[in-house]
Amino acid sequence: MASGEFTEEEQGRYDRQIRLWGIEAQQRMRNATILVVRLRGTATETIKNIVLAGIGKLILVDADDVEEEDLGAGFFFRDDDVGKKRVDAAKARIENLNPLVTVETVPNFNVLNNQNFESTVNGVDLVCITEWDRDDLVRLNNICRRLRKPFYSGGTYGLLGYIFCDLLDHNYFSSDRSSPKDAPKSIQMKVSYPSLQDALRHRWSLLSKRQTKELNPASVFAILALWQFQSIQKRLPIGAQDVGELQQIADALVSEADVNKQVITTVPHSLIESVTMTAVHEFSPVCAIVGGLLAQDILKTLAAREPPIANFLTFDGNTGGASVCKLSMS
Amino acid sequence: MATTTTTTTTVPGRTKHAKAILGDELHKKLGETKVLVVGAGGIGCELVKTLVLSGFIKITLLDLDTIDLSNLNRQFLFRTTHIKKPKSLIAASVAATFNPLVHITPIQDNIMDSEKYHVEWFAGFDLVLNALDNLEARKYVGRMCVAAGVRMVESGTAGYLGQVQPIVGGVTECFECMEKPKGGKTYPVCTIRSTPSLPIHCVVWSKSYLMGQLFGVDEDAGTELDEAEKQGENAEEIANLRKEAESFAQVRAAIRSGGPAARMIFDKIFNTDINRLLSMSDMWNHRAKPVPLDFAQIMREEDPTENGAVALKDQKKLTTKENLELFISSVSALSARLSSTETLIEFDKDDDDTLDFVTAASNLRSLAYGIPQKTKWEVKEMAGNIIPAIATTNAIIAGLIVLQAVHLVAASLGRSTSTSTASHSTLSSTSTSSPFTALRNIHIQLKPAVPLSAITTSRPNPACGICRDVYTVVRCDPLRATLRDVVQGVLGGTPTPTPTPNSNSNSNSNSNSTSTSTSTSNSNPPSPSISEFTVFASSPSAPSSTRILADPDWDDNLDRTLGSLNVRCGMFVNVWKWEWKTLSIGIGGLPPNYHAGEGRGWLLLPDPLPRLVVRKEKEKEKRVSGVRPQPQQQPGRTSLKRSLGDDEGDGGDIVVLDDDNNNNGADAHPPAAKKRKTTTSHPPPSTPPKSKPTQTTQTTKTTSKHAPAHPAFSFSSPSKKRQLEEEGLVLMESAEEELRDDISISEDGNRGGGDGGEDVIVID
Repeated sequence: MASGEFTEEEQGRYDRQIRLWGIEAQQRMRNATILVVRLRGTATETIKNIVLAGIGKLILVDADDVEEEDLGAGFFFRDDDVGKKRVDAAKARIENLNPLVTVETVPNFNVLNNQNFESTVNGVDLVCITEWDRDDLVRLNNICRRLRKPFYSGGTYGLLGYIFCDLLDHNYFSSDRSSPKDAPKSIQMKVSYPSLQDALRHRWSLLSKRQTKELNPASVFAILALWQFQSIQKRLPIGAQDVGELQQIADALVSEADVNKQVITTVPHSLIESVTMTAVHEFSPVCAIVGGLLAQDILKTLAAREPPIANFLTFDGNTGGASVCKLSMS
Repeated sequence: MATTTTTTTTVPGRTKHAKAILGDELHKKLGETKVLVVGAGGIGCELVKTLVLSGFIKITLLDLDTIDLSNLNRQFLFRTTHIKKPKSLIAASVAATFNPLVHITPIQDNIMDSEKYHVEWFAGFDLVLNALDNLEARKYVGRMCVAAGVRMVESGTAGYLGQVQPIVGGVTECFECMEKPKGGKTYPVCTIRSTPSLPIHCVVWSKSYLMGQLFGVDEDAGTELDEAEKQGENAEEIANLRKEAESFAQVRAAIRSGGPAARMIFDKIFNTDINRLLSMSDMWNHRAKPVPLDFAQIMREEDPTENGAVALKDQKKLTTKENLELFISSVSALSARLSSTETLIEFDKDDDDTLDFVTAASNLRSLAYGIPQKTKWEVKEMAGNIIPAIATTNAIIAGLIVLQAVHLVAASLGRSTSTSTASHSTLSSTSTSSPFTALRNIHIQLKPAVPLSAITTSRPNPACGICRDVYTVVRCDPLRATLRDVVQGVLGGTPTPTPTPNSNSNSNSNSNSTSTSTSTSNSNPPSPSISEFTVFASSPSAPSSTRILADPDWDDNLDRTLGSLNVRCGMFVNVWKWEWKTLSIGIGGLPPNYHAGEGRGWLLLPDPLPRLVVRKEKEKEKRVSGVRPQPQQQPGRTSLKRSLGDDEGDGGDIVVLDDDNNNNGADAHPPAAKKRKTTTSHPPPSTPPKSKPTQTTQTTKTTSKHAPAHPAFSFSSPSKKRQLEEEGLVLMESAEEELRDDISISEDGNRGGGDGGEDVIVID
């Protein structure tokens, strides 16, 4: 890994964060190329954060044009960007966040076709796919696994949000909290991640009532139900007519996963209702939180410092709480 | 629900998503809400962005600071070209481009200017969002919001951690209901000055003592030593330190003459002074002796061979010779500045000459004492109170603040956004429960299974010295309104101390520690008289630091004007009596166009007058049965005219006083002895005296827990720590402790606007 001396500019700009994660972590970030797919609210926040932190290069893929409602959570866009390609509208503003980062944009989704995706992924250090459907995430995740590249996905559905990651066999240093503060020690840790495909087969049988409750299963199954709905209907739920089906799917998933029945046997109807109505919408604060958590985890993974998410985080904007389920993790 | 959807799906444009999630009514309400954001730093930049995108439109953004290069890793509204420009102005203009509809009013100022940012000013907002980086300003805003009855969200970040706390006066805990971890660390003077044992001792010594002695104002260090002596520190050692201080005069002169002074300083502080310390043999019986440094010998050392390159040059370990060379070069740079343009130079972590000097001087001192040395990088953090800060934490916290803010706005629509997954789940759904059930205190935590913990808010601490007060505002001309005008006016009735010497005043004279059960048992209760109360002044920037103006035994000040008592607009006059919650009267100026009317044109009382609130149900039964809060009376302007009163407290009552100062009542500042007396006989505001036997266990518990939050009530002889703090020293207990901006005695301590907006006050 290259490790040139940092310039005055870099030292000044990154001072406050190098004091947190150290110079070596900063160097790893500086050497990293990140692929981000789809530019909506969650990606906007994620990109802002990793570009500010000083990754080496961002490759941003999105084929769509800016729509009016993208202005709601997309602060890289302005009114007169409506109708332009999202990546074209955003590129200069992303570069402007940190002139030390290289930004490359791809204005089509062809790179996601199997063949192209392999060659693209080969040239990057980490893949992050946002606001994507489950079945295609499984496919893309499998390609990343084959190529041994860490994989993140994340997105929001109204007030709910999620992050899934597959970091393969991940080694990292974690600060040993039992060591004295004036002589901090790090311990090397190793953790193995399952694919998304395997993670989705997870059973909750082993969790106690308290452990189950802590993980906010209602939010988890609301999201998994949205994924399932999308897989069947080829769209997200959009209105009252979808409530029944989503409820049915969610409850079936809860039952299949063998969730502790003292905690939950059905996803609360009010939640299903609101998720149905808001799934296609995004809200800036929720994007900021999920994008913040997502970016922070990408940076941890790059730096190989501190434990990353393992492996499915859900955020509930109703309460502001977030929990992480270990889906099929050993 | 269905209507919401129907409406939103037909609404095109940028607000489509937000309306779908919030509902039209709540979304519209966000746009009408007048929001104050205090701080445009790390949290502030993220917060303004998220507010603007969420649908908030009327935003006032206040910050004192200017932009620095080290902000740019997280304060994403700022660019290199903005460095040195005001944060508030740049943040406002950049964030406004995210949504052309918004109105952001920037203010570059210190929020703790109580003459400008007083209770009435805060009352002009519907919602206050803190994005601050120091404890004083947080407390200030917290108190002002409680006093003004404005809902707020408090927040903080440090590194990966952060927290968000919505505050609704009377409903949730306020910012000061729970004692905050003490930021400041202190060391005995002698540890810093003669027996350091940790690197931080040497850093503090060079930054706060040596820098001042050499390049600062020529101040008399004697007081500090006097104080240390009083505290019982080694007398011989103190005498020795006095000699040391005197000999600084010579080197100060040398520095200012423009000649080469480094050698002279070096010999004095690293050789002569250390030898003098060594001469006190007792001191070294149980500790390792320092070794005086020899200038010539160090200079004879060989230059180091270039060791491995480091990625950051400030992280390079310096050899002894390099440290000495750095010492010489920094002294000469600082001397040159003193002999040209500057008259005094203080430590500034971003002023490289001063940082070089502190690095070199503390390392040389460490060498003499056998203490490990530190790199310039490390010294900068230790001396500059730098808190690590990253974009992600700030973005997450800002998002969480806005979600809580939305709950608060929803509550103002008279409905709950109770959104736990068990009941309802969109922010727009309604509920019959309290409108505040949706509020949560949220922490970013290290626990892997729950990275964001959301906890239901707690009820206010019944013993809180801030939010359990009853607040009101009196607008007046402090140069004309007397203490009696204001206080008696608010209490209602005539301000005249009519000689109706019922048992009230007399029995209440001792009421602070004795029974008052019969004191106000009138059949037709008149307004309470000012002379029944202890009256004290406090400044919102230091609410716990109070000044007694009058008490039942001491009424000399009652007919003096507020101005002559040093009570200015923006301050509080607090009225305390055991049975009742403290009445806090914010002093506001008269409105600009106010016409002096008949007689009392300099005084505008609140209308209606505030209700005095009995402290506690149980207390009411037990102690003040039959006594209700006084029925409120109309301001009765005419009756307010004060006649020249006789002194109710005729001096004969003042038996409690243990000093001879009660005849000094004319002094604007109550005598020190008076204060001491107060310390022991009066509780902190709202905190019942511990000696009261009638307290419930619960109250006692919270009281004792809370009591330290009012350190200023221990007026008793200012500790040396306090003394050192006044000098701007950052004193720490150990190197293991992190330095923080909210230590308050650092150079950042007085900032009101917040710069990074980013340390954590409460972390579990």
